[in-house]
Amino acid sequence: MLIADNLTCSFGGVKAVDQLSFVVNHGDIFSIIGPNGAGKTTVLNLFSRFYNADKGEIWLEDDNITKISASAVAKKGIARTFQNVELFERETVLQNLLIAQHIHRTTNLVTECLFVGLARRQEIRFRETAEHVIDLLHLEQYRDAVTGSLPFGVRKLVEIGRALCLRPRLLLMDEPSSGLNPEETEDLGHWIEDINQDLDVTIVMVEHDMSLIGRVASRVLAMADGRLLTIGTPKEVENHPEVIEAYLGC
Amino acid sequence: MRFVLKTSYNRDIDVFRDRVHFFWYFLLVLVMLIAPLFAGTYFQSQLTLLFISAIAGTGLMVLVGYTGLVSLGHAAFLLLGAYVHTLLLKYHIPFVVSLPLAAIACGVFGMIVGLAALRTTGVYLAIATLAFAMIVEQVIKNWKSLTGGNNGLKVSDPTIFGFDLQSDVRVFGLDSEVSIFYYVCFVILVLVLFLIVNLLRAPTGRSFIAVRDSEISAQAMGVNLTAAKIRSFSLSAALTGIAGGLMAHQIGHLFPDSFTIVDSIKLLMLVVVGGLGSVHGVIFGAIFLILLPEAISVLKGWLPQAMVYRGGLEPLIFGSILILFLVFEPFGIYGRWQKILLYFNQFPLYRKKTFKRQRSFLRTERVH
Ligand SMILES: Nc1ncnc2c1ncn2[C@@H]1O[C@H](COP(=O)(O)OP(=O)(O)OP(=O)(O)O)[C@@H](O)[C@H]1O
Ligand SMILES: [Mg+2]
Repeated sequence: MLIADNLTCSFGGVKAVDQLSFVVNHGDIFSIIGPNGAGKTTVLNLFSRFYNADKGEIWLEDDNITKISASAVAKKGIARTFQNVELFERETVLQNLLIAQHIHRTTNLVTECLFVGLARRQEIRFRETAEHVIDLLHLEQYRDAVTGSLPFGVRKLVEIGRALCLRPRLLLMDEPSSGLNPEETEDLGHWIEDINQDLDVTIVMVEHDMSLIGRVASRVLAMADGRLLTIGTPKEVENHPEVIEAYLGC
Repeated sequence: MRFVLKTSYNRDIDVFRDRVHFFWYFLLVLVMLIAPLFAGTYFQSQLTLLFISAIAGTGLMVLVGYTGLVSLGHAAFLLLGAYVHTLLLKYHIPFVVSLPLAAIACGVFGMIVGLAALRTTGVYLAIATLAFAMIVEQVIKNWKSLTGGNNGLKVSDPTIFGFDLQSDVRVFGLDSEVSIFYYVCFVILVLVLFLIVNLLRAPTGRSFIAVRDSEISAQAMGVNLTAAKIRSFSLSAALTGIAGGLMAHQIGHLFPDSFTIVDSIKLLMLVVVGGLGSVHGVIFGAIFLILLPEAISVLKGWLPQAMVYRGGLEPLIFGSILILFLVFEPFGIYGRWQKILLYFNQFPLYRKKTFKRQRSFLRTERVH
């Protein structure tokens, strides 16, 4: 479904990602691991088109998305969450979920200004989707809370909800479990499985928590210093000598 | 404590929360409609000024309060709107056509300035817009054949079907005269608010908010930053242009320095003091702006003479107010008002922390 072909991206002299190639299949929960500074976030940012690849190509099914604009990525059906939570902090949870449905709008400036039937029906449709997501992630009690004032764990969850509001086929998650307590991580595991199976969303997640990975991931990619170490099942990767070395070495 | 029972999503989408809420606004409109019958000429002209300020304020609010872009050059759009409108009137284009044309002209210029906003933000954008305002002023000053240069331009009275909109009408049985222009401005303000409130509860408005709160997330949500910023700038400029056109009639005779940096700062003060990111804030801010000169003249009575006549007192006061609000009440008068409302709503249970923001986590990972 998603193909990274020989991706390379460097900042000054640092090669953050170096000739990385891999394939994510439809329905995968594909996990990327690696020590700090390995270039995991950079890989996601390349997919989101925040960074330009120096070399290599990115394919989403039959589309070459190496050169499209960052805002076009969402329209292709790719949603994402961020390592340190990037919500619209001054707005409520509900408003965040509504903003996220931007790509599904059918109105234009004129119909919006007049707020005729079309615009109102669209608002109701958006609201239904938002309520669906609120229901799914049990966010009812936070619906009208301003996201900037919520606890970190809830904000991470809202961010996942916001990504789901795009109704994506591919979800990129950057360390979804960081900053969560063990219970929250446990719940997160269930939600990731639900999202993957019930909503038919392929997932690529950067993660550190090996127990979470062992529980949900179908395949794992290990990288260090921007380079691929190995790809395989969680068990295989965990016991791979180079992976062990990479983690001990830092 | 009053609970609002919501039985359909329409309740959340509607502008008015419920009948009670609607009633208060309806009453306000009613009061504004009959006010001229009882208010004197001075009071009417002050209210007219308030309406025009609110129209310009709405324009700047869209930009600053909703899209998070700063402009120190909105006086340029007042000036442009005023000149375009006046010139069109001079060539016998009817009022109802020339005002929208002035808005469109300003919208186009706003688009051009918006292009600058793509590359610069914050202080740099403020400086860029300031430079734009200076250019506009210079062009108007030097394009003498069209604008009359420093001699200015006389503004003809607005008319609709030969009826002079700027005339005062004596209502039967009342002593006071009623200004027709008051109603013109009021209707335009209500219209502008109607359109903007609608826009802000629809995807376009939300895309502005998205750009304001996190450009990176906005992009990940499929919001095209370029389109959103240019739209916002253009809309903002167009509204300010309408205000400029109306203002021209209030002034009567236009000069290249009819609107200056001080007006840009006043407008900025309007949105900051009123409350960034709220349409109510525009109204509060406009009221504040109208009352300010009165307050300053009172203040002048208390200050030593030397200070009063030195000049520069007003900019000093404006600047101080801006800074004080930005530091102590970033959500302005409207924010304060909401806190007071909430306090009474939750009376014994009010928590001071309700409005405290969680400390944001490290932002090192942000891609810029
Ligand atoms: N915008 C940038 N400018 C310059 N260097 C960058 C930028 N983004 C990442 N890097 C560098 O690229 C390398 C990889 O960074 P990246 O954030 O992808 O690591 P990571 O694997 O996500 O690490 P972590 O586990 O700490 O999140 C690091 O050396 C980092 O300093
Ligand atoms: Mg990272």
